[in-house]
Amino acid sequence: MSLLAQVLLNGVLLGGLYAIMALGLALVWGVLNIVNLAHGAFIMLGGYLAWYLFTGLGIDPFLGLPITAVAMFALGYLVQRLLLNLIVRAPMFNTLLITFGIEVVITYVAQLAFSADFRTINPSYAGNNVSLGPVIIPEVRLMAFGAAILLTFGMWIFLLKTRLGRAIRATAQNLVAARLYGVEPRHLYATTFGIGIGLAGMAGSLYGAVSQINPYIGAALTAKCFAISIIGGLDNPLGVIVGGIVLGVIESLALLYVGATFGDVASFCVLVAVLIIRPSGLLGRTA
Amino acid sequence: MLRIGASIAGCLLAASLFVPNTSSAADITLGASVQLTGPLANTGRYYKDAYEFAVDQINEKGGVKVGDQQRKLALKIYDNQSDVNLSVRQYTQLVSQDKVNFLLGPFASNFALADSAISEKYRIPMVQGGGASDQIFSRKFKYIFGTLAPASDYFQSTVEMMTKLKPEPKNVALLYADDAFDVSVAEGTRPLLKKAGLTIALDERYTSNATDFNSLLSRIRSANIDAVLVAGHETEILNFVRQAQSLSVSPKMYSFTVGVPSADFRKALGDDANFAFGMTAWLPSASLKDKWFGDAEQFAKAYKVKYGYEPDYHAASAAADVEAFAQAIEEAGSIDPQKVRDALAKLNFESLYGTIAFAEDGQIHLPQTVIQIQGDEVVPVYGKQGFIKQPKYPMPAWNERQTTGTGK
Repeated sequence: MSLLAQVLLNGVLLGGLYAIMALGLALVWGVLNIVNLAHGAFIMLGGYLAWYLFTGLGIDPFLGLPITAVAMFALGYLVQRLLLNLIVRAPMFNTLLITFGIEVVITYVAQLAFSADFRTINPSYAGNNVSLGPVIIPEVRLMAFGAAILLTFGMWIFLLKTRLGRAIRATAQNLVAARLYGVEPRHLYATTFGIGIGLAGMAGSLYGAVSQINPYIGAALTAKCFAISIIGGLDNPLGVIVGGIVLGVIESLALLYVGATFGDVASFCVLVAVLIIRPSGLLGRTA
Repeated sequence: MLRIGASIAGCLLAASLFVPNTSSAADITLGASVQLTGPLANTGRYYKDAYEFAVDQINEKGGVKVGDQQRKLALKIYDNQSDVNLSVRQYTQLVSQDKVNFLLGPFASNFALADSAISEKYRIPMVQGGGASDQIFSRKFKYIFGTLAPASDYFQSTVEMMTKLKPEPKNVALLYADDAFDVSVAEGTRPLLKKAGLTIALDERYTSNATDFNSLLSRIRSANIDAVLVAGHETEILNFVRQAQSLSVSPKMYSFTVGVPSADFRKALGDDANFAFGMTAWLPSASLKDKWFGDAEQFAKAYKVKYGYEPDYHAASAAADVEAFAQAIEEAGSIDPQKVRDALAKLNFESLYGTIAFAEDGQIHLPQTVIQIQGDEVVPVYGKQGFIKQPKYPMPAWNERQTTGTGK
């Protein structure tokens, strides 16, 4: 019984980490209709940045989140402004192609710059945990979960209540009307993409503390973020929390009860099921 | 007129670039496709470095004697980007277009398994030091040789040691990734555990490149398992150890097939790597005498000076492959592939890697020495003759370890 409780808890905490990884992708995809195949590669870059901040300057990965966020925001802004804005009203295929190309370039530049060795971010509290009865809660995962909830709610409030958030939603709904209201689309798209990449960078920082970073983690992470975004629904930023937790719990249970090779099978079965039963995602508006 | 003159000059210039390499007698070329980029690159590069190191050293000592000629060795290495299909195509290219004389292997059993089909098809001997899986050698191929001891024997000395530990571990968890090497290890380890009278409480195959071991670790904790044996890859084992720490799972001992001998694994984990058991068929000991390097200790020192990191058994195995060819070519007195193949099959000589002699199926047999990480150093604890040094057993609980909290 306590084994089940432990595995459920593992799943929920894993879900929090998943949510924060997918948040940036869901934002950019849901709002800008840009499918960013390089999302995982940006997570990887965020991880490396956090690693250098930690080993070089001794900055804790959680406390350094704002620095990573700002740096990655700047990178995202430039990428959108200089590269992606070229294809923003082109067919979807061009977006896929260009972001795929960015992914390949980033991965191989990272391999040249950082070598293929894997790195871990090992703050002194990395292995600590708290016990709640028979169940053990790893501290870092709990903190990552907390960060995920905060950021997701923050994003939701940002999009709903702030001026910039409303401008972003307006541009996504009707570009012409938004321009009539004084929105400058190129700047706005770049800001949104920047926010998405800033979130990816923060996810990378947390990922490095929980797992390990090497130049090749991008592709697998992008695939997972896709699944989470679709399961949760793109209309609502809170969807990634639901999607992440559902996925985390189902994967953990599958690993426990079905077999240790069935984690990915379970995730993609859930994805297919959601697409069949509720295609706009669990939290998406039904047509 | 000027135009014709210019184009003739241009042709002559172009032609001059195709002047063949002038060497006294043609170099003997060894070709290989190695993982220099991609997820396996952190180990793949050991092979390239070691091949180069061995070839340079042999050439410096005069090269290889073929009949009454001294010839130098040359290398042609391609990067297969950790893609098996690309490596197969590259080996085909090495043989059919680049016309290399002999083949050296890639890293990893699943690569060696696929690539050895090329050496068999074109009848060019391949000596590989990166694949230990028994599957590579069970096909009765004649042109593949391997300098890594069989996968199924990897845990033999560890299991033997376990029966001699006090208090003896009662139940064991056997976890393995689903690829050629690790499946072979598990298949070989099960009968060893049964024979030693140890109960296998958990026998689980997991996805290669898995990042989440929380469920498996939770099961290990709730079943109170004493010993955990993991056959996997460095990245998985790294995640396993970190997650074991975060879930406070500390069995009496755990042993891993890879990672423990490698410096970058220990660096990534820092203090958390302590107490982990592993195995290696090679230690840089001065008792392993070598014709070209003096002995294994000198090899390791010179290697570290040139490449900046300490060689582990992967590098030694790769150097052994080059030496095997050099020795076989000299004994055959020719570079005819068939003659060299026969000479390889009959090889029996001492080298920095130990005794290089291939069994009937082409694989070397070397005993594994059990090693343990103690205080950030790799210490051999159990070998052929029993305990070399007392292992630190049982492993203390995570919160009882004296850690310095280093963020390495």
